[in-house]
This record gives sequence, C-alpha cells and structure tokens, in this order.
Amino acid sequence: MDRLRSAGSLPLRLAGFFALLIASALGLWARQSPAPVPDVDPHVASGSKNAPIVMEVFSDYQCPACKTLFMTTNRQVMDNYVSTGKVYLIHRDFPLPMHAHSQVAAQYGRAAAQIGKFEAVEQALFQNQEKWEQSGDVDGTVAAVLSPAEMTKVRALVKGGTLNPLIQKDVAMGRLYNVNQTPTTVFHAKGQTYPYAGVMNYEILRNFLDQLGK
Amino acid sequence: MQSSPLNLRRAIIWIGRLVLGGIFIYAGYAKIFLPIMHPRPPIGVALAFFALQVGSYQLLPPWGVNFVAHTLPFAEITLGLLLIIGWRLRIWAVLSTLLILGFFAAVVRSYAAGMQINCGCFATPEPLTIATVIRDGALAALAMVMTVLAFIETRKPHPWSAPQSM
Repeated sequence: MDRLRSAGSLPLRLAGFFALLIASALGLWARQSPAPVPDVDPHVASGSKNAPIVMEVFSDYQCPACKTLFMTTNRQVMDNYVSTGKVYLIHRDFPLPMHAHSQVAAQYGRAAAQIGKFEAVEQALFQNQEKWEQSGDVDGTVAAVLSPAEMTKVRALVKGGTLNPLIQKDVAMGRLYNVNQTPTTVFHAKGQTYPYAGVMNYEILRNFLDQLGK
Repeated sequence: MQSSPLNLRRAIIWIGRLVLGGIFIYAGYAKIFLPIMHPRPPIGVALAFFALQVGSYQLLPPWGVNFVAHTLPFAEITLGLLLIIGWRLRIWAVLSTLLILGFFAAVVRSYAAGMQINCGCFATPEPLTIATVIRDGALAALAMVMTVLAFIETRKPHPWSAPQSM
C-alpha cells in the first residue's frame, strides 16, 4: 500500500520540480542588462572591429600558460576566425606582480604596437620566454626581431613613460571582469560576456566560437 | 519492536537527500541556463562554454569533453530529483556518490598539480582553491554516509509498516 501511495505521488512530485525549474528559468530570461563595451587600443587588436565575437585575452608575457595559449590555441584562432572576420582578438596586458620582468615586457610590447610591430614582438617574447625570464634581457629579445631604427623608437617609447598608463588601463579593465590570473579570456557576443580563466584546447574552443557565432 | 520514524540515521539520510539533491539540481540548472548571465544565452552556447571548463581539467580528449559537457548537467538534474523524491534511493545514492567521488578526484588532482583553473562546478568563474577541495570532500563524505545508512535502513522494518504477525 505504501508502495502504491508513493508511486501515485511520483508524477506529481516530478511535475512540481520541473515547474519550479521552468519558472525560475523564465524569470531569469526576463532580467536583462547590457554587457560592458571594451575600451580597445587598436594597436594591440587583430581582425575586424565589426566581427560578431570579441575575444579579450588578459595575458602576461612571463606566464607559461599564456605562452601555451598563444603558441597553440590563439594562433589557430587567428588563422581560422580572426582572418575570416569572425573574431576580433584584443590583447590586454595583465602583468602579474609575481613575475619580475612582466611589466618591462609589457612596456616593450606596447611600444612595438605603437610602431606597428606588435605581432612580431609578441611572438618573439612568448617564443623566447624561458631565455629572457632567466636573463632579464627583454630588450635583446625584442631587438632580435626589429630593425635598429625600429628599436630606437621602441626604446624611446619605453623610456618616455607613456606606456604605463595604457598597461594600467588594461589591468583596470581586467579588474572589472574579476580577472585574478593569466591567461583569462573574456568573450563578448550578442551583448553577453563570458570570462574564462586558463588555457583552452582549440578543438573545444572552436565548438564554443561556432555556437557563439550562430 | 519498531524503530522510531525519527532517528539520527533517518535524519542524516534526509539531510543527505535534500542537500545533495538540491545541489545537483542547482548545479545542472546553472550549467544549462547560466543564471549569472543576463540576457540568458542559448542552451547550446551555455553547454559549449561548460565544455571549455570541463576541458580545462585536461582529463579527457575533446570528444569526451563534449560528451560530458552535453550530458552531465541533465544527469545532475535527474539524479537530484530522484534523490529528493527518494524512489529506489539506494540506486541513486550509489550513483550520486560515485559521481561526487569522481568530481572530488578531479578537483584534488588539479589542485595538487597546481593547475590554475576554474572549478566549473556551478558554471561560475570560481577559481579552484583549497576551499573547493574541502567543499567537494565534505559532499563526498555526506554522500557516502547517506548511501551506507540508506542500505542499513532498508534492512530494518519501516516504522509505519504493518507489524509482522507472530
């Protein structure tokens, strides 16, 4: 009898729980607030500003995970999504205090960006991370991929002290998104913001980007 | 002699069912509907985003990550409902315990390896810290105790059942 009674109330209990679930889902659907619009420095951004998806990558040149993300996943994103106008990729400096040379590397990266050489310098800094991390020779690493004339301009910009506010602006932007580690990627699409901390596998990211672009 | 309908064993089972069932339902719901986001994204986007978090544990190949991401939230809601309803409790208690132990193992492994990732437990950007390990350990302990007590309880006559003839 007990079994019969409990079996009889089972559909009612199930219906009640599903009703609660659906009701709360609909309630959340109704609440809307716009996603923050990122303040973009075009010197450190790649792709079309009109791309349906914006990817902000908060990165530290001395962070090994940032190197992995850059060397593996983000290169494929550049080839398959940025170059085809589907993704606007923005580099954000987020030098961590625990890394001795991060701030200097970020300054050189921003200086190179000012003279249109960001991609080459970003690649050189990540590719040779282990070397300059040990020696502290950020200048030499950057000099290896720039002409002497370009290097003179970069050094002048680094010494000028005008780059730190740009870096601090990125850090402040990161704090808005509660970034507390690198790499952190913030995706924007259709008014929504998706923060993700850590390295991403390209195959899995591709699925997410395709869903976002639908 | 009948046991009391309200004893410590039954109280722990009830607490386990309500706590774990509630957490499972909310965890599954949060992964499918991303309640922290407004406007609410489509379910396909939410599950693909959850796949990124599953992938961050570096335990499964991409196809395995996608399979887990697209089935786990629904399994959590179903398990949570079945735990709260209490129908065939021992089966769902065992499955819940195995699932939580799986989560606990993944969290401990990632924490011990120093991986700086998000937990992904409730689809929020919650960093995986020692607090996450302790919380998952406590839930695993609760699930195990509830399961053991559920098995012990079924050996005893139900307090509201008719007395056995002498």
